[in-house]
Amino acid sequence: MLDPLDLKLLRDLGRMKGQVLAVSLVMACGLAMMIMTRSLIFTLDSTRSAYYQKNAMADVFATLKRAPLAVAERIAALPGVAVVEPRVAVDVTLDLPGVAEPATGRILSLPEDGGPQKLNRLFLRSGRMPRPDARREVVLGEAFAIANGLQAGAALVVVINGRRETLEVCGIGLSPEFVFEARAGETLPDHRRFSVIWMNYRPLAVAYNLDGAFNDICLDLTPGAAAEPVIAEVDRLLAPYGASGAYTRKEQASAQRLDDELRVLTSLAVAYPLVFLSVAAFMVNAVLSRIVRLQREQIAQMKALGYGSRQVGVHYLKFVLVIGVLGTLIGGVGGRLLGGVLVNLYTLFFRFPELEFQMDYSALGLALLVSLGASVAGVLTVVWQAVKLPPAEAMRPEPPADFQPSLFERIGLTPLFSPAMRMALRNIERRPWQAVFTACGLALATGLMVLPGAMSDSIDYLLTFQWNRQQRQDVAVFLTEPGSGSGFHDLEHLPGVIRAEPIRSVPARLRFGHRSRKLSVTGIAPGTHLNRLLDERGDVIEMPDEGLLMSKKLAEVIGARVGDMVQVEVMEGRRPVLQVPIRGLVCDFAGVAAYMDIAALRRLMQESDTINGAFIAIDHGRWDEFMRALKDTPRSAAVMVKRDQLSAFRETTAASIGMIRKLYFALATIVAFGVVYNSARIALSERSRELATLRVVGFRLAEVRGVLIGELAILVLAALPAGLLFGRGLAMFIMASFSTETVRMPIVINPATYSLAVTVVLTAAILSFALVSRMLGQLDMVGVLKARD
Amino acid sequence: MHADSTLVAPASGKLVFAARGLRKVYHTGEVDVVALDGVEVELHESEFVVLLGPSGSGKSTLLNILGGLDVPSSGNLSYKGWALDGAEENTLTLFRRNCVGFVFQFYNLIPSLTARENVALITGIARDPMPPEEALAMVGLQARMDHFPSQLSGGEQQRVAIARAIAKRPELLLCDEPTGALDVTTGITVLEAIERINRELGTLTVIITHNAVMAEMADRVLYLSDGKIVKERLNPLRLPASGLEW
Repeated sequence: MLDPLDLKLLRDLGRMKGQVLAVSLVMACGLAMMIMTRSLIFTLDSTRSAYYQKNAMADVFATLKRAPLAVAERIAALPGVAVVEPRVAVDVTLDLPGVAEPATGRILSLPEDGGPQKLNRLFLRSGRMPRPDARREVVLGEAFAIANGLQAGAALVVVINGRRETLEVCGIGLSPEFVFEARAGETLPDHRRFSVIWMNYRPLAVAYNLDGAFNDICLDLTPGAAAEPVIAEVDRLLAPYGASGAYTRKEQASAQRLDDELRVLTSLAVAYPLVFLSVAAFMVNAVLSRIVRLQREQIAQMKALGYGSRQVGVHYLKFVLVIGVLGTLIGGVGGRLLGGVLVNLYTLFFRFPELEFQMDYSALGLALLVSLGASVAGVLTVVWQAVKLPPAEAMRPEPPADFQPSLFERIGLTPLFSPAMRMALRNIERRPWQAVFTACGLALATGLMVLPGAMSDSIDYLLTFQWNRQQRQDVAVFLTEPGSGSGFHDLEHLPGVIRAEPIRSVPARLRFGHRSRKLSVTGIAPGTHLNRLLDERGDVIEMPDEGLLMSKKLAEVIGARVGDMVQVEVMEGRRPVLQVPIRGLVCDFAGVAAYMDIAALRRLMQESDTINGAFIAIDHGRWDEFMRALKDTPRSAAVMVKRDQLSAFRETTAASIGMIRKLYFALATIVAFGVVYNSARIALSERSRELATLRVVGFRLAEVRGVLIGELAILVLAALPAGLLFGRGLAMFIMASFSTETVRMPIVINPATYSLAVTVVLTAAILSFALVSRMLGQLDMVGVLKARD
Repeated sequence: MHADSTLVAPASGKLVFAARGLRKVYHTGEVDVVALDGVEVELHESEFVVLLGPSGSGKSTLLNILGGLDVPSSGNLSYKGWALDGAEENTLTLFRRNCVGFVFQFYNLIPSLTARENVALITGIARDPMPPEEALAMVGLQARMDHFPSQLSGGEQQRVAIARAIAKRPELLLCDEPTGALDVTTGITVLEAIERINRELGTLTVIITHNAVMAEMADRVLYLSDGKIVKERLNPLRLPASGLEW
């Protein structure tokens, strides 16, 4: 048998189920987001750790030109080094049947001794490893195999060091080193055009004249060993062999991309739910304040019957607990379902042997704590008021609420307002905090509505900025080795080329103070037409004769400003160390880069007309002809086709952000409806006596509706501009949390986005008003008027 | 006199209401509650009528139907020859707006409006209203017009409610326990205001009360029991409200 107070609780809740549901749903939205993001973090983090652990992801990586295997043994002997794995790593062109554009492959050698891999161990999805003596057998990266419909047994045509070879796919696999399977420096996966390939050491080494040598090495450190001194030693040992600087797992492209993703999720896990829970706290406060006011006499009777203040207090807190628990349950189920769907998005970007959504049950507990905390904090003062009311006082009808002319009237604007408007203004002024809370709830709902549109606007802007205004080339071609001017001449004269601009890039470490980044310094010609460097407004930045232009993000990361001198430690050729001033900052949204005038860079490198590649614009009528010729160009290693990058972006980033955007939109709609409906219900219940009086004295239903809606309409109108501002702030915060070294989002919000937010909130308001108006029509006028306050 | 025969007042005023066989049945769950069971009554201009009867006798139901807050389940009700039974909601709203003034036990003032503004609510929508100041003067509140309800005593609040009811110059003033929440002295002040309206404006006034003493100030007293008018009494002499004691 339930306690009578609990029975009362259940029945009271039953009577106000619409509002209970509205508040619980808003709370559930926030909690679902929190549970979903925390679970996704947990899923990605634990899956990654287990994968790295089980498949021995290396701690330090280095690439070089060519070193005898004996050097690897000297590295293995360094203090702090546990395991080394030297290998051959080369970029090749793949010729896929039926595809005009060449694809790119990165071939990694398996251990020279034919034994199992010690580091970055392959996970075989299907097939088998190459036989020890097999010359043409390879394991193919899973993402590429799926995207191109290749299976074990398939043939793969590869241009290895200028010679076309047909390789045989014996297995499909993946590696912890390529969880994010993309070309080095690429921020987006293009699974149709890029693959990792593993093959036996000897055939690969022989083809590239690296037999008995290596050009890439991975290290595992002993537990507790610091990476810095090891890297310094490795750099010292490898410097004579054309090494471009060792780096840690943190700087490894795939690992960095995962880190960035986790960082984004972590900030989303806090910011977004916080807004929802604040709205829910406001709503709970409003609901409970109303109950306590309406149940003034019941509270007195409970006390007169002998219930203590604590029991009464707990009784009213239970209203909140029920809403909190309901919200957590809906949020938990919602978070679980959403997480299960969204985890699939990660398979677009990240390849794990297995990526199963794992519910973070601690998040559920935290959600319960947070939701109860937020709601209880929202109602403590209300419950306190209920508890401290002396029974005798509460039994008497509440005296008429104390009012005074509103501020507008006090300054002489009375004639401007109808009685209904005066009622609304005075009501707002009498309980300013309630009005502020309601307006805050509405403003938050409006703000949440801005976010999905802002995401869409930003992506549209990014697409236009990056692919229409900045990159006007059709393809970028990179050579396997830096080549002379004749290499550029060859590219320039490929069939269909309209314009070609040379690229000279050198690997370097940029150092400013104690911060540094390893990247390529790219030399481009001044007045370039194809790959243009733009500032934030989209205006072209002229390449200065001397000095560097760099990504704004890079300057931020190393803490430098325009005018600062940065140290450029070139890791190629004669490896000069230079002090170069920063001359300007470039606006870009993917990766970080540094640029120099190509002539200046060549002067610094003491070389003539060396190139690494070219940006090329092609006559589209001769596209296939160009691509065929390119496939036969032995020294081209990587071809980036803008069209493909764009579609890869649409399929991955845009698709996943689009999905998240829809989710945000749905959640924001729920909040907008919930907040307005809740406010309208409260207004109806609190003012039923006034409204019934107006009906009795002869006001038409429509006129009474006007009185009810007047106050809410003022609050809605006041909340909209504040909400739009808040939405802008929220969008800026969320976009800033998306801003990583690998990918960034511009902050662009079009007027249409604001209009949509306003339209949705107004529609929510109108529908809620319609619902409440219907209830107003059913109001028992006589019953209300004959009842005591 | 039979309970079911039509009660005709001896007053000389024109006929305002004529009710024939009024029935009102409320369906509450599985039980039908008969609130009015064949009421026959005629009410005239300027008449002061007091309805007496125990709780549940149907007084309030009759008052609500007369005032256009409710409609009868069956029977006929005419107001100045105009059928009110089965009238549309809009018609009833117009009827209340232009013809009826209500006063309830709980004053039902709008707390966010001053005394003057509470009255002005009506003068803003009625056909031929008197200025709010005049209505308030009639109930002796000319000095308290700009006070909010919270700044007025119970009696003053009820007088504002009366001023609000009569500002539209109603042909009918319906009062449901108008002194129920007041002490004797304040109650008599309120009754004096009602009496004055009846006398000076010639408004047909119907008061519901449990207080039999109040019957002394009426022209006619109707006794209700079980949804029927069971007795009628004509007062040859009306006592002034100031002469009442309870």
